[in-house]
Formats: sequence, C-alpha cells, structure tokens
Amino acid sequence: MSDSQKQVLNSYLTFKLGGEMFASHVENVIKILEMQHITEVPRTPPFMKGVINLRGNVLPVIDARIKFGIPQTEYTQKTCILVLNIRIEEEQVDVGAIVDAVHDVLEYDQDKILPPPGLGSKFKSGFIDGVMKVNDKFIMILNMNSVFSTEEIIDLQEQTEKTVEKLKKEKINKKAN
Amino acid sequence: MDIMEEFKQKFVEEAEEFITDLEASLLILEKNPHEKEQIEKVFRIMHTLKGNGGMFGYNKISEFTHNLESIYDFVRNGEMEINKELLDVTLLSVDHLKVLLQTGDDLDANTQKTHNLFSSKIEKIINEKLMGGKDYSIKNANNDSFLPFGSSAEKNLDEATYYIKFVPNPDIFKDGTNPLFLLDEIHTLGTCSVVAHLENIPVAGSFDCAKCYTWWEVFLATPLKIGTINDVFIFVEDDSKIEITEIASFSLFTNDDFRKYIIELQKAEKQFDIDIIKKFAGNTETFIETKETTVEKGDLFLPQPSKIKVKADSSISSIRVSSSKVDLLMNLVSEMVTLQARLNLFNEKHHDPELQAITESVQKLSRQLRDNAFSISLIPIGSILTRFQRLVRDLSGELGKKVNFIIEGEETELDKTIVESLSDPLMHILRNSLDHGIETPENRIKSGKPEEGNIFLKACYSGSNVHIKVRDDGAGIDPEKILKKARQKGIVSEQAVLDKNQILDLVFAPGFSTAEVVSDISGRGVGMDVVSRKITEIRGEVVLDSDKGKGTTITIILPLTLSIIDGMQVNIGETTYIIPLYAVHKIYSVSHQIIQKAFDNVIALEGEQLPFFSLREHFQVPGNSPEREEVIVVKYENRKVGLLIDRVIGEYQTVLKPLGKHYKSQEFISGGTILGDGTIALVLDTNKIISKFSKRTLTMEESK
Repeated sequence: MSDSQKQVLNSYLTFKLGGEMFASHVENVIKILEMQHITEVPRTPPFMKGVINLRGNVLPVIDARIKFGIPQTEYTQKTCILVLNIRIEEEQVDVGAIVDAVHDVLEYDQDKILPPPGLGSKFKSGFIDGVMKVNDKFIMILNMNSVFSTEEIIDLQEQTEKTVEKLKKEKINKKAN
Repeated sequence: MDIMEEFKQKFVEEAEEFITDLEASLLILEKNPHEKEQIEKVFRIMHTLKGNGGMFGYNKISEFTHNLESIYDFVRNGEMEINKELLDVTLLSVDHLKVLLQTGDDLDANTQKTHNLFSSKIEKIINEKLMGGKDYSIKNANNDSFLPFGSSAEKNLDEATYYIKFVPNPDIFKDGTNPLFLLDEIHTLGTCSVVAHLENIPVAGSFDCAKCYTWWEVFLATPLKIGTINDVFIFVEDDSKIEITEIASFSLFTNDDFRKYIIELQKAEKQFDIDIIKKFAGNTETFIETKETTVEKGDLFLPQPSKIKVKADSSISSIRVSSSKVDLLMNLVSEMVTLQARLNLFNEKHHDPELQAITESVQKLSRQLRDNAFSISLIPIGSILTRFQRLVRDLSGELGKKVNFIIEGEETELDKTIVESLSDPLMHILRNSLDHGIETPENRIKSGKPEEGNIFLKACYSGSNVHIKVRDDGAGIDPEKILKKARQKGIVSEQAVLDKNQILDLVFAPGFSTAEVVSDISGRGVGMDVVSRKITEIRGEVVLDSDKGKGTTITIILPLTLSIIDGMQVNIGETTYIIPLYAVHKIYSVSHQIIQKAFDNVIALEGEQLPFFSLREHFQVPGNSPEREEVIVVKYENRKVGLLIDRVIGEYQTVLKPLGKHYKSQEFISGGTILGDGTIALVLDTNKIISKFSKRTLTMEESK
C-alpha cells in the first residue's frame, strides 16, 4: 500500500490483551485466524510460540502476552491469531500474533490521534504510534513494524500505565489552565 | 513494457550465452587448433552475433564481429592457420564484445580506445593475409580427387556447379523473410539458373496469402566454397529444407545441352533428374557412390555431402525457457506434492478400494512429475566452468606460472540457484590455488616436481549430494604456521590442543584471513570464511585437506536441490520432525533402560561404539521418554552418530519451506514442511544438529 492510500485509510483494528485495549492500523493486518495447533520450534525464546500453516507457507507465531510481559493465561475460545504483514530490515514479512480477543474496526481521524507522550529514557520510543480516545478510554496504537521485529520482551504493561497516567496529568493541567 | 527493449534484453541474454560458447570453443582450439567442428562453431557464432547485433542496433558489435568473422572464414576454408597470436587477439576481442554488449553503441573514451586498438589489430591480421605477407595457407588435399576424368579445356576448372534445393517453411513470411531476396543473393555468387516449383499452390479458395507455397531449385556455378552458399541461408536453415550438393567440379553452364535441359525444366516444372545431369557432368565415378546413398535414403534422391547439414538437428534439441517459468513450475509441483500428502491421509481414513487405486496412481504420477520438473530446473555445472578456464589461463600467465587446468564432470547437474551461487566461491578457491598453491616453475623444479603445475576440478554425484573437488599439486598448507597465526589472532587459546583437521578448519574461521596473513603464510586464507559462508547459505559444506609440500584439496559438498527432499517422519514427544532420508544410515530400536545406563552418551550396537544424542533432551521436550526409543544412525563427516527419537512414522516427501526471519538463529532446522493434515513438521539438518550439540562440550568453542 502506498503512503497516500495509507493516509486516506483511517481504520484501526482494536484487540484486547491482558485487560487493556490496543489498536493496529488495518494496513498491517492480513487476516484473523482462530486459535489452532501450533508446531513448536525447539530452543527458541518462550514468546516464539512456533509455526503454523498459512495457505501453504510457514507462518511464525508470537504470543503477544509473553512478548509484552503480561502474565500468561489459558487460551480461550476468543483467543485468536492476528496475521500481520510487517517490515523487517527492508523486507515485508508475515507474522502471527496471539491476542486475547479482537474487538472492533474503528474509523478514527488522523488529526485526533494524540502523539505518544515522552516516557523518559527508560523506554524505547517507537513502539507506540499514538493514542486514540474512544468512550473516555485510551487505546494505544501499536507500531507493529517495530513491536514484532525486536527479539526482546517489551514491558508493555508498564509502558501503557505510564502513558495513560501522563496523558491524564496533561489533561488535568490543561483544565487547570 | 517496451517491446523493443524486451527484444534487446533477449538479444543480450542470448549473446552472453553465445559469447560463453565462443570462449569455450576458442579454448578448445588453443589445445587442438585443427578441430574443424570448433572452427565452424566459432564462425557460426560470430556470424549470428554480427547479424543479430545489427538487427538490434548494436552496430559496434556488428562491425567488430564482421572483421573477426572474416578471419575465421579464412581459417574455416583452410586458408589460414590458428596460432597463439590469433587466439590471444580473439580472446581479448571476446572480452571487448562483453563490454560492448553492456554499453551498446555509446562508448566512453576508454572503451573507444580499446575498440580502436582491437579493430586495428584484427584489420592488420586480415591485411597481412590478403597481402600474402604470411603464408597461412594449407593445401586441401581433397581438392584433387574431385577433378573430373574427362575434363577438357572448355570447362572452367576454377568453378564448380552446385545444385540447391530450397523448400522454405510455409510460415517463412512471418519472420519477415522474403525468400526471393535469398535467391537474389545466390545470383550474386555466380552464374545461376533458378527453377521455381509452383505445384504446391492450392486453388484460389483454400489459398492462405500469408504462407509460402513455392519452392525452388537452383543451379549455380561459382568459384566459391559450399560453405559460402550455405551462409546465404543461415537465418532460415533451421525451419526450411535446404540441400546443397556439388554436382560437378566445373561450370556446367558451358555445356549447351545442360542449358537446354534447364530451360526445359523451367517450362515443364519438373524436378531435375540426376541421370541426365550425370551425362553433362561427364563424371561417372563421383556419382556411382552417390547413387548408392540414393537408394538407401528413398525420396531424398540427392547425394548428401556430409558436412553441410550438420546444424539442423542440433538446434531443435533444446528450447529456451525463462527461469521464472521454471520457478513457477517448481512451485506448482511443490503444491501438488503437498496436496498429494493430503490425499494419502484421506485415503487411509476411508477404506475404499477405488479411492485407493486412484490415490496410488496420482502418487505415482506426482512423483514422476516432481522428478521431471526437477531435472528441468537442473543445469550442468559446466556452464560456469568456462570462465574459470579463462581465469586460470590469464592468471597463470600474469603470475608467470605454468598451470595445467583439468576439468572433469562438467555435465554434472545442479539446481540453477546453486550453480549461480557457486561461481564466486569457486573463483576464490581457484585464485587461491593459483596464487598460493602452485609454485613458480623454478621452485617446482627445486622441490622435484614437474615444471607444470596441475589444478584439477572434478564434479561428481555422491548419493543425493554433488561433490566438487578442487585439487592442486602445489605447496600445500603448513599446519604449524596456521596454528601460530591463529594463536596470535586470539582465535584459539594458547593451551588448546588441536589435531590437523581442526587446525585446517581454522582457515575458515572469520577474522582469520586478512591481507597480512596472506603475505606471512605461504598458504591460503583469502576470504576462506566468505567461501565457507556462501556455501553454507546453499546448505553445502566445505572440507579442506592439505599435505604440506604435496598440495591441497578443497571439497565442496552440495545438495542436489534446495526445495524438495525425501524424508523420514519421526516423532519426539507431540511434535513431528522430518529427517532427510539421504542422511539416514540405519535405524535401531533400543530400550530406554539401555540408554539410561549408557556411559558418556555412547552405546554399543552390532559391536560398534556409537556416540548418540538424545533429541528429546536437546530440544528440551517436557515429559518422559517412551519404553522403547529409536536410534537413527546418520553419517556425520566420516563417523556414524546416533540420534535418539521417540518413534519412526514413515517415509515422507518433503517440500521445504523457509521458516522466515524470526527463526533465522535456529540453524539446525533447515525449514518446515506441510503434512497431510495441514500442520507443519520441522525438517532437521542432521549435520548442524550434531556439530552444534557436540561442540557445546568442546572447550575450544566455549572460549570463543
């Protein structure tokens, strides 16, 4: 998809992960699969769940909970695999991400998206593209390209809390002014 | 896409191939200057290059080859002999042609300079020939035997009379060829008389105006050689029927009866009769022989000179297909093999005899299809070896070394992607052999070796692998020096005790090879880690063996293909794995107790000590081993090693799919494959597994 098209498309897929809501630009999402048997690959980090067959090709699957440092739970009927197309080192790659549930596809104006607040040097910036506010709740828009191309575990929980906290503070400050 | 650009692209591709062939032929001629077939080939390629080059706007190529062609025309006609000087110029010209092919007609100053230089060199050779400055000519001994017995003064002895039968392909107009122009060209060669045959032209209603129905018979008296006449038809000879026969070794047009006979033929539109011509020729003896062949060949009543028609059959035996089409075919076959596995599984569930029969037929067919599609995507390794011959020739000249380069097994076929990625590593190895392996002639004599060094390149099949060996009888590698250097560089610790093979392996270690090493050590080291890495990328292996003073052998072991392999399906815990069948040597069933009791991971099987690895343990599979485990004996280098798995399921045809970037560090897994039920099984690389897990115990690896 070209950049101009991307700007026109303001649709975001929201999904649940450990009680929080996140969003991905639909550009990155190819399809959503039900949870299925995953072939484990030995001697890999725990968040690399294994591989599945996607239309005759091998698709690596990442458990987003483990990847984001959220405690693991049993998979439920709502658990599903997001098939994402991301860019790693100048190459388009397909990867699956296990999330708790998919929620909705939202249209959201580009102008209304809040920029990600600076979170201090402790966090690597770039994982969060911006924040949407829907029904008085904050939804983080994740940058799928950077989230799923690193090999480290991202402490998303802490990052999310801080972001929300900071945004709320900013809001209060504004009101006070 | 611009059609003209597309054609140009095709021309360049084709021309590159031609130039490779040309080089190969020239190098053969260097060893064997009298090989007629090669001279013909050289001439033909030049002629085609000239023609095609002009057609696609490569005028420089066209001009340039024109002069070269003239030289080889002399050679072909026995008027000039091939010598080293000529070959040197030609080979350099071939290099220049390659440049011209890339630049087209817009030459920069430098290229223009070389262009002029070579052009003048070639012209000089031609002029020398024409001025008779050097006598290159050799007598054609056969000429005399063609003299007719009853030759008289009125017959023109310089000329010969040829009969040409030209039956164009009905679709000849589609190529934009006008057969009449060809006949015009024949006219310019000498005295000539043409008989047109119109009897094939259908009646008005069924007449297709885009087709050529006419065919011609031509009588030509000319002093030129038969090859020159043949050249007129060079662009149509593949599709059209052309026969050229010498019917008399003098001009028959001096004979009035002959002229009358031809006029008669033209009126009656009859085919010419050999008996009558025989009378005119007045040469009984030549025709007795030819008549015998007449009987054998049935409707081809003409005597066929053996040399002329050689080309027709060789051109149809192969076709050019773009590699993207072959890739597509391979992908489709891969999908078919996967689907086949699903059908098998379905068949096993439903016990229907009819379904079973169908399944078996489909399986047989898909296997054949797979093998066939495979062989299409394989190309002989010889296609990249020509340029090496050239490299050795040029480099040995530069270095002042005498080297005999011998290639064996160039017909060995490999997957095209493998062959492509082989070129650089092989080039490296050969350069090393020439640079550091083979000694100078003086040094060779000093150490009691023949003055001329040898480099052998041998390719051969070994199971489902291909081995490529590069052996030289040069100085070899001194292990002591390697070890010393490696210690200096900190690649191995000072205390480490290594055997010879381990020391030689150090050459492949990254960081070992620097320019400094090359000057210090009289051995190898230039980019051997690059060689090793490149070969590993295509699932191959490099083995180095060397005896100091005797020479070095480098063996590259490669898989035949990258995508489809026969495998054995096994289970470890819940997970299914595939082990390539070619690696499997034997399978034993062993009780778990024996394994538990085994000391130092070695068990005795059939009186042999067998080291083994428990894959369950190394893959960190949860749960316990079953009562009876199975040991798969695989070959690793020259030893046998056991791999312990839970259960063998059966044979499985595997289409290898890459696991992708996320799993690139799992190098002991060569890929995934899709099973009949749609799930994925991992394909294990046994060599990598063993080297990975065995090295963990070695201190050398730890110290890194």
